[in-house]
Amino acid sequence: MKLVLAAESGQVHLTSQTRIVAAVIAIFFMLMILELIRRDRLQERYSVIWFIAGLGMLAGAAFPGLLEVVANLMGVRNTNVALFSLVLLGLLGLALNFSVIMSRQAAQITRLAQERAIEKAQRQAAEQRNGSGSSGEQTLKSEEQSL
Amino acid sequence: MRTLVFIPAWNEEASVTTVIADVRKALPEADILVVDDGSTDATAERVREAGALVASLPFNQGLGAALQTGYLYALRSGYDACAHLDADGQHPAEEVARLLAEVAADRADLVIGSRYHSGAVAASGDYKPTFSRRIGISVFRFFLTLATRQRFTDTTSGMRAANRRVMALFSEHYSPDFAEIESLQLAVRQGLRVEELPVRMLERVGGTSFLTPLRSAFFIFKGLVVLLVGQFRPRHAEAER
Repeated sequence: MKLVLAAESGQVHLTSQTRIVAAVIAIFFMLMILELIRRDRLQERYSVIWFIAGLGMLAGAAFPGLLEVVANLMGVRNTNVALFSLVLLGLLGLALNFSVIMSRQAAQITRLAQERAIEKAQRQAAEQRNGSGSSGEQTLKSEEQSL
Repeated sequence: MRTLVFIPAWNEEASVTTVIADVRKALPEADILVVDDGSTDATAERVREAGALVASLPFNQGLGAALQTGYLYALRSGYDACAHLDADGQHPAEEVARLLAEVAADRADLVIGSRYHSGAVAASGDYKPTFSRRIGISVFRFFLTLATRQRFTDTTSGMRAANRRVMALFSEHYSPDFAEIESLQLAVRQGLRVEELPVRMLERVGGTSFLTPLRSAFFIFKGLVVLLVGQFRPRHAEAER
């Protein structure tokens, strides 16, 4: 049985023009990430993955041969297919990662809201026990206004 | 024995005062807490006027989060038993008292008030489910029974009584999306004694159910996914910690 090597006729379609455009986009992308961090719009821990993506883009533009190597490893004849499927898989993973982060934050927000509600109810209960039911309402109301 | 009755309420200014009065009459010893789930109407004011405690969530979080707030409050404030009922007036408070009696006698950790249990007596003005609702009910009943190997008739009942073991569990783990069913599965899987008691429930006074056929189908599908996932959750998570 003869193994068929998919990448036997590997072709790289990147012209130097597209390579320059890709490199410029990658550099702009990373500068944008830096700027977002600088303005506190993006936290460092969420920026690492985007820097890796930017570096990957830059590497692909600088050394198109890399893509061919990757396509070879994947057993894909067309390097474009290799590139697109890798990027798609990466984005899928990233989207899932964000869903996980979102779920965690939703749980944290809920717990925060619950803690606050419970604290206020406990204060109301303590005030009722002290026999000053009506003044208790007053303090609660004024507190709400100050918040 | 210190008892807390809590009532999750979302924009229920019309009925919450009546429900509080009803609970006071049936359970004069119990403290009453209304968990106001981000109401935009005067629910919280009505509750304060009625002299009951109110825990206001700053924004609407869904029934699961509201119920969990009640369990957490009961746990933190050292109550021996707690119960909850709906704020729309469908649940008579004397039935809640019967559930609490089961918990007080330590015959169960968690007691569910069931509309459909064969022992429930039907009277005029009592709750009668619609056709599409009956389908959903039987589907959930079948799968929950399969998942827990325990017979449940009313899987979505919002009338329950519980002791401290349940409070400790539910204040940590309570699904915000599919609270009623998943919590039963969780409690049984954690080895708690869950029991159903036939109760009378009334027809809802105002408003209609939110369920359309499409929504019902989606609701059922979501419920089945939740149950399936729940089967793969670790047992006795408390013991591991």
